[in-house]
Amino acid sequence: MSAFLSSSIMHNIFGGVAQGVVYSLVALSLVIIWQSTHVLNFAQGAMAMFATYVGMTEIDRGIGYWWCVIISVAVGMLLGGLTERVLIRPLYGKPEINPIVVMVGFLGVLEALAAAIWTSTTRNITEPFSQIFFHDHGNLVYLSPFIIYQVILALGIMLIIAGLFRYTKLGLQLRASALAPEVSRLLGIRVSRMLTIGWILSAGVGAIAAVIQASGSFGLFPTDMDGIFVAGFIAAAVGGLESPIGAVAGGLLIGLAEQFILAYWSPNVAPLGGIIILVVALMIRPQGLFTKVAGRRV
Amino acid sequence: MIRTFLRQETTLSRFLGVVVLTAVTLAITIVLPPVADSELAGGAAIAIVILGLSWLIGWSGQISLGNSGFMAVGAYAAGIWAHHHATTPLIFTLFLATVAGAISGLIIAIPSTRLRGPYLAGMTLAFSAAVTPIAQNFTSVTGGEGGLFMNSLATPGWFGHFFSGPNATINANAQWTADLAVFVAGITFFFMANLFHSRTGRAMRLVRDNDVAAELMGVNLSRTRSLAFMIAAAYAGLGGALYSLLQASVRPETFPLTLSITLLTLMVLGGIGTLSGAVIGGIIFSFSANLVAHVNSLTGVNPTSNLGANMQGIIFGALLILTMLFVPRGLVSIKTPVRRLFRSRHQVVEAGEVH
Amino acid sequence: MFTKARRPLTLISALVLSLAGLSTGLLASNAGAAGSTPGVTSNSITIGATVPLSGIAVSYAPVSAAANAVFKWVDSHGGINGRQIKYIRLDDCYGLASYGLGCTAGASVTTLSQNQVLVAQDHVFATVGSLGTAAEESVESYLKQNDVPQLFVNSGSKAWDDPSKYPDLFGFQTSYNAEGKIFAHYIKTHLAGKTVGFIGQNDDFGANGFLGLQDGGINIASANHLSYNAADAITGSSSDIQADVGTLAQNKVQVVVLDSVPGFTAGILEVAKALGYSPTWIISNVGADPTSVDQPSEAGAITLDYFPSATDTGDQWIPWIRQVLTADKADFPKFNASSVLTGNELYGVGYAVAFAETLKAEGRNVTRAGFVKTLESAKLSDPAITPLQYSGSNHQGLQGGVIAKIAANGSSAPVLANLTNTTVFTTGNSASSPLAQSPKLTISPIPSWLK
Repeated sequence: MSAFLSSSIMHNIFGGVAQGVVYSLVALSLVIIWQSTHVLNFAQGAMAMFATYVGMTEIDRGIGYWWCVIISVAVGMLLGGLTERVLIRPLYGKPEINPIVVMVGFLGVLEALAAAIWTSTTRNITEPFSQIFFHDHGNLVYLSPFIIYQVILALGIMLIIAGLFRYTKLGLQLRASALAPEVSRLLGIRVSRMLTIGWILSAGVGAIAAVIQASGSFGLFPTDMDGIFVAGFIAAAVGGLESPIGAVAGGLLIGLAEQFILAYWSPNVAPLGGIIILVVALMIRPQGLFTKVAGRRV
Repeated sequence: MIRTFLRQETTLSRFLGVVVLTAVTLAITIVLPPVADSELAGGAAIAIVILGLSWLIGWSGQISLGNSGFMAVGAYAAGIWAHHHATTPLIFTLFLATVAGAISGLIIAIPSTRLRGPYLAGMTLAFSAAVTPIAQNFTSVTGGEGGLFMNSLATPGWFGHFFSGPNATINANAQWTADLAVFVAGITFFFMANLFHSRTGRAMRLVRDNDVAAELMGVNLSRTRSLAFMIAAAYAGLGGALYSLLQASVRPETFPLTLSITLLTLMVLGGIGTLSGAVIGGIIFSFSANLVAHVNSLTGVNPTSNLGANMQGIIFGALLILTMLFVPRGLVSIKTPVRRLFRSRHQVVEAGEVH
Repeated sequence: MFTKARRPLTLISALVLSLAGLSTGLLASNAGAAGSTPGVTSNSITIGATVPLSGIAVSYAPVSAAANAVFKWVDSHGGINGRQIKYIRLDDCYGLASYGLGCTAGASVTTLSQNQVLVAQDHVFATVGSLGTAAEESVESYLKQNDVPQLFVNSGSKAWDDPSKYPDLFGFQTSYNAEGKIFAHYIKTHLAGKTVGFIGQNDDFGANGFLGLQDGGINIASANHLSYNAADAITGSSSDIQADVGTLAQNKVQVVVLDSVPGFTAGILEVAKALGYSPTWIISNVGADPTSVDQPSEAGAITLDYFPSATDTGDQWIPWIRQVLTADKADFPKFNASSVLTGNELYGVGYAVAFAETLKAEGRNVTRAGFVKTLESAKLSDPAITPLQYSGSNHQGLQGGVIAKIAANGSSAPVLANLTNTTVFTTGNSASSPLAQSPKLTISPIPSWLK
């Protein structure tokens, strides 16, 4: 057993899942926005990063880690709602390039603003759980209390979102207005409010991803979500932008693929892992691997 | 009579137009101090890339966030060649880079032309994000993070004769590189001006506006879209190579993801799908440091403070948002008194499907 | 057609002239062009450097500040041969400004563009102490083309020692090759039989250092020869160092040699701490400065030093350097008698003194060619504890150093290295040049005119 836990295959599985859940969260948050407003939010990572800065730097003032997480998520949700109202609302019905360009601009503003306010130097967040890996009879096991925390937190958030969409009245209204906005309006659902709520939820999920990322050993810096966003987007696109389950599966797939390519092929090729999967997946099914299944269920 | 002739868009009139524009810019390089000349040279190279992007988005309706990646392909093609063959004529190196760019564009286009909007944007973004690590890690070919170094562009003897005084060599070299870059840009602008009004250009607009109608009329959709990508990538490859030759080095950090964003910003600012929009974008790039310094001094922000150091990102991002929200056709569309005075009678629909 | 063209024409001309005009240099482009030698007037000499004053390598900023403090000191004592030294330092963000974040100079700035400002606008006599391996390699050709000497490049690449191709290019510090060879000797004598791993920066810094280890007879399995990219600190893909340290930990490597800048030394030590991995660290001089690294677990690491220990009371340079830095209220406002002297400051003072001395030896009639010739033959008195001697065939600068150990300092950041003994090792860049040992430090006296 001990040899198994410290074997290189388990090392890569642990590493891949740990990174994969973060990708999954970002992918999930992209899917929520896409479903409600058909906008691919290129500033998703940057918004989450900004919210994390606002929340997690409160640690400096002696506020506990968990309160900071709550502040980060709250700020993220506020930012999400405001963004939808101010930047995205004027662009409904415009060509799809317009919101893409605006969100790319917003990405630039947020990263530069974060660097201006908090400097671009990496900040280490005192993590709630130790990052020191377990040892098993002197052999390294690539699991730490922090990795376990990160996976549990991410899965918890996914379950909450799934439950919200499936079993609550709000979830029903959200799904209805995404699927048939005109009918929903006739049925008395305030569709425009649902769009804003979609953005708020999505930004909250994104903020959790950014908090996990920043609490890890990479630390917090203005561009820390760039690579995560790209991987998260690839995950969402592989799963099909319509499918939450596809997004989660896509995230894990990309995380594991990167880890295994790194270990068994070459670190040089690891950054290419995601793009290869994306090309292959889109060649097979241009609208994503999970789209059809989810399309029926929504 | 002559006026009517010139009002018609012909190859000759477009040729004359670009010649006049290039000549004026060349004349300006004589007046500018050497440092501004060097800045302008970089801007001319970037203008070529912006023009390619402008064509892709404005005329074919496909979005790309990967043009910094295509730039890198061209730059490395030129860099690897020039690093090993220092005496190759410049024109050959640039040609090689253009071809390399076009090929990379085709490779990306094959899976991409089946994708629309956000999928396509994300796909090209992923390409652009993959280029830097590839260049960093395949050290034996690319020189790794240190990059490859080339000889800086030498001033030809005949050009140097126009200069005298204690700083003749420096001034001659700065102006030569600026003139060279502006000249190359002029040629690419002439080609693009013709492309806009060619059969391909019209087919492209049709595909952009109504692909079903285009297909009914016998236009091959995926071939037309791939062609648009190839041309945009060829322009990016050429611009990237020129930019690197001006820098006398090609390094992975010259082509970060943020450059793709900068290119998009400059293109939107200038005006999507127009020649003059690309020129304006290039000029803004050239002197962006001056512009930012000016904003810092106007607002009293200490340029070495945190805010001052990041002012460029804030200004460019904000400009991109504001332009898209309020002036989606870019600076060229702003009605100036000068423009009203010379308002052209026939309006050519140039800009892309941006409302 | 003309009406169509006129609009862009007006726009373009107006834009170019107004934007270019925003820079101050539009009409003042011939400043400093009076004498026959650029940068030299009857009462001043202007020199410049491109250095990281912001961005990821900002921890090196005190180097050029300390050099500037020396020049100010010289100026306040009457200058050299009647000339004041003006030192223009421009920020190039270690050549990584293009990422657009946190670079004071702006995202479109490159090392080359800042050198163009120094050469074509400020008309400097030479660049002195410009920093960065890849950054300085990218301007070699431009500076050569314009006959501008590139002096005391702040990097240990062996690229600076190429007099036949670049006759006006000079390095300053011990090359990474020589450093690697000296580390190899240390490993063979003190850590014999242990497995060795290597993490280096993915440019000539890491490449030359690794070559030095190999030339010194250390075998490193290719699985344990790893690298990182400096730009990862900006792009966020720091997975490189995580994977690197993880690999070494898994392979149970006992000795790890680092050719990294301080920010990455810190990152690597931190990752190792998380893994519960503690090999013997051997860290290149440029990445070992404890004040910059700021990691308690650096204590006990081995490094190479070529300057006196800041706490060495017997060295006559130390009190003088303290005086010089205390006098510079602009760059060192808080420096006082009890401040910790860092390796960065000693380095900056080192090359500034070398420049001042050569200028002094050159006499009243200063030309670029003459200066280079003088530098190749001058016997320089320098704070360095190994001889600083250039020649027509050697442009590297220092040739070696002393093995030192980073000292613990309670729970806070360790302090500058203590010499493990006073044996000075010297060697050349090539594989065949032998490793020489001398039992004593070379302490050169402070020239009286400097005091």
